[in-house]
Amino acid sequence: MSRFLANRLLRALITLFLTVTFVFIVLRFSGDPAEQMLSPDATPEAMQAFRERWGLDRSILEQYLFYVRNIASGEFGFSYANGRPVIDVVTERIPKTLILTGAGLVTLILIGVPAGIAAALRRNTAADRITMSLAVGGYSIPSFLLGLALIYVFAVELRWLPSSGSGDWRHAVLPIATYGLAGAAGIARFTRSAMIEVLDQPYIRAAKAAGIAPIEIVFRHALPNASIPIVTMLGFNVAGLLGGAVLVETVFAWPGLGSGFVRAVSQGDLAVVQFMVLIFTAFMVSVNFTVDVLYAVLNPRIRLSDHGAH
Amino acid sequence: MLLQVSDLAIRSRSGGVRILDGVDLQLGAGEVLGLVGESGCGKSMTCYAIADLLPAGLVRAGGSVRFDGVDMGSLDEPARRRLRGGRIAMIFQDPTSHLNPVHRVGTYLEGALKRHRGLSGTDARMEAIRLLERVGISDAKRRMNAYPHEFSGGMNQRLMIAHALACEPDLLIADEPTTALDVTTQAQILDLIETVRAETGMAILIVSHDLGVIARLADRAAVMHCGRIVETAPVEALFDRPAHPYTSALIGCMPTVDPDDCDPPRPIRGSVPSLADLPGGCHFHPRCDRRMPACGLARPPLAALADGQSSACFNPVPTW
Repeated sequence: MSRFLANRLLRALITLFLTVTFVFIVLRFSGDPAEQMLSPDATPEAMQAFRERWGLDRSILEQYLFYVRNIASGEFGFSYANGRPVIDVVTERIPKTLILTGAGLVTLILIGVPAGIAAALRRNTAADRITMSLAVGGYSIPSFLLGLALIYVFAVELRWLPSSGSGDWRHAVLPIATYGLAGAAGIARFTRSAMIEVLDQPYIRAAKAAGIAPIEIVFRHALPNASIPIVTMLGFNVAGLLGGAVLVETVFAWPGLGSGFVRAVSQGDLAVVQFMVLIFTAFMVSVNFTVDVLYAVLNPRIRLSDHGAH
Repeated sequence: MLLQVSDLAIRSRSGGVRILDGVDLQLGAGEVLGLVGESGCGKSMTCYAIADLLPAGLVRAGGSVRFDGVDMGSLDEPARRRLRGGRIAMIFQDPTSHLNPVHRVGTYLEGALKRHRGLSGTDARMEAIRLLERVGISDAKRRMNAYPHEFSGGMNQRLMIAHALACEPDLLIADEPTTALDVTTQAQILDLIETVRAETGMAILIVSHDLGVIARLADRAAVMHCGRIVETAPVEALFDRPAHPYTSALIGCMPTVDPDDCDPPRPIRGSVPSLADLPGGCHFHPRCDRRMPACGLARPPLAALADGQSSACFNPVPTW
């Protein structure tokens, strides 16, 4: 297990390094930050002063080496927009995003997995078809559109919930529902097919032959096997949640990483964008790592090969 | 009679394909009945129908299954469930795929002991270890924590037998229990089945396409062809003087190592007909050497001959 962990850690570091490099190069070639940050009528002297202040007048290689050295020593620079340390600008947004995506993940699991199981058990009945039609619908609607629809119904028409902001828990309900409903649709479809495949396995027939009650067959015999592919799928879902944060947080004016990223990109605030990409990458790497570990926990056949017994 | 199957018929839900057509079987307490026939003739479906485990696409189209005098069809689902795995145990072909890959050996056996014998905790664990030892799995205590994929096919079949024995069943249904195993392992599993039968006195319904397996284990055998029983007889009679031409042809297909028997195996000519397009009358008549005009017109009933032998043939092979 320790070899497995060391291996994964090394791969995570390589992934982070490549991302930093790639993002750095792409951003430096995507336009002059000075032109984006300063007003169009800024004097050439002001532009030059801005470039000198942020080291943008030096060669790309120099800037890159400087940047990597700073990252390695925990220096992430300052926001071009307001001069605050990047680390403060970004970290104050992290909990906001984690609350939404965490609650969204729990919601999509609580809706999607039971719906998928129910549909699999009632395969090809009206209930199955209705559930799966809803799931296809939910899967097809872009999350920002779903968010706007929820705002229209619950904030504008019914006036039950606020449409934007992040004051108290009521502000979180609609964005969480957006994540939960959109994600549940995909997971329901996936859970259904995973359960159907497992329920057709010979060991399920053997469990019936052993007189095991249907509910026990579903939850103790079928679901643990189906959960192996479902967990893989949930890993992709978490990735989707973080990506979706850019849209959903913007729609709901939720001050998280996603809306912060949109703002930093539109302002050309390179230092902030770079650090946010680094944070997103670190999230993705840890999600993948968690999925791999869960996979080994759920699947005894993988656990064994990991011990080198094969 | 422990098990009495009468006029059992199974067809596909969607269309008229008949999988089983008027199957009759009797099995007394402690008796071993072999069910033999080519692949696809309905042997396994007979087992599934008895254990109430038909696949989703198939339905009972008639007939009854009585276990210990009680019509299984008249029982509610919980009562049938208590029978399955309790008084009726089942083992399968390809044991490894019939064992849940995420459950440990110990969990599997303790589950059965808990369900059907009310044992729990240390009692269940001790009994599970005892069962593993009984079916010849060494180092049983340590192997309680193993997973099925860490066992060989033969060990997994031993494990399934231990699971079947856990509930002290009256009837063991063994569906091709040795087919997926290599020859030496086959012999060991057959030995084991013989031993547990001698110890427990349970009745066994053993399904195989291998006449050697049937000859070795069974007291009586039933020969199945295209969803029908064409002959039943005590095993010695069946091999010495088969009455149905199909049985005779099957036995003729068996290679032999007897130096006095120089006849090469004789394959049955033609091929097994499709269940969706069966010939009328006796389903075997187009391939039969002894056919008569009547064979293509009417289904020959299973008629008793001498000494507990019966055959469904208008022109049986003379058995005297």
